[in-house]
Amino acid sequence: MSASLAPECNQVKERYDNCFLKWYSEKFLRGAATTDECDPLFKQYEKCLSKVLNDRGIDKMVKEAREDNRENDAEHLKPKR
Amino acid sequence: MKIFQQSTEFDYSWEEVSISNWRKYGPWNESCKHVIAVDTLSRTVDPSTGILRTERLITCKQTAPKWVLSLLGGQDTSLVYETSYVDASQRSVTLCSMNLTWSDLLNVRETCIYSPSSSNPAGKTKFQQRAEITALCGGWAKIRNKLEEVTVERFQQNAAKGREGFETVLEMSRRAFQEQKSPILREAKI
Repeated sequence: MSASLAPECNQVKERYDNCFLKWYSEKFLRGAATTDECDPLFKQYEKCLSKVLNDRGIDKMVKEAREDNRENDAEHLKPKR
Repeated sequence: MKIFQQSTEFDYSWEEVSISNWRKYGPWNESCKHVIAVDTLSRTVDPSTGILRTERLITCKQTAPKWVLSLLGGQDTSLVYETSYVDASQRSVTLCSMNLTWSDLLNVRETCIYSPSSSNPAGKTKFQQRAEITALCGGWAKIRNKLEEVTVERFQQNAAKGREGFETVLEMSRRAFQEQKSPILREAKI
């Protein structure tokens, strides 16, 4: 998998990415995903990353983009059935 | 505004493509060296639809022409915000991206969709890509136009490279999966 923009988060990111990929291929795609067992690992990774995003002012840019993206959310999260 | 769009097919099932999509910018991909980091910002399964929504931050090394870089303030990395939506029951992956860096000068919106090919839904996957590029630098129509042109050209070059790189990732993933499934094969290789 890919590196993190914050090298200090690489290790925890790799653990999370591996967990996610296993969950995605073995559970999610088979429609058997009830809980996300990778969440504790994600929380660790998020904690590491959010500090860097905050220090570099990237979190503000992400916030604006998230607002801009509302239309996509509305379009792609609606039920297709 | 300028539009770039293309569509192509991969000789892999939608499931394989959708798994490899998460590995697209990893070490197996020699053709996308401009992507230097991919971080996950959030990930949720929508309780009513079962759609997996992921937010990612993609860090790219800029390879734009020098005059473009100087116009854009000389930064050599850029950030892209991507949201993706995976509907496993409908077998579709939709990726929506926009640029975070230089967003006051240039607006790039891209949508990519991976879905089963209509000719062979079990074995092939269709890839559709569309990008809308709008330069925003006020007044200077010529520069605006040129900036849009350069960006479209970059999309064209990256599209060819992207396909080549993703093919390698798909092949490596299939091989890794087969080896994992078959201990005999794995032992024979050692």
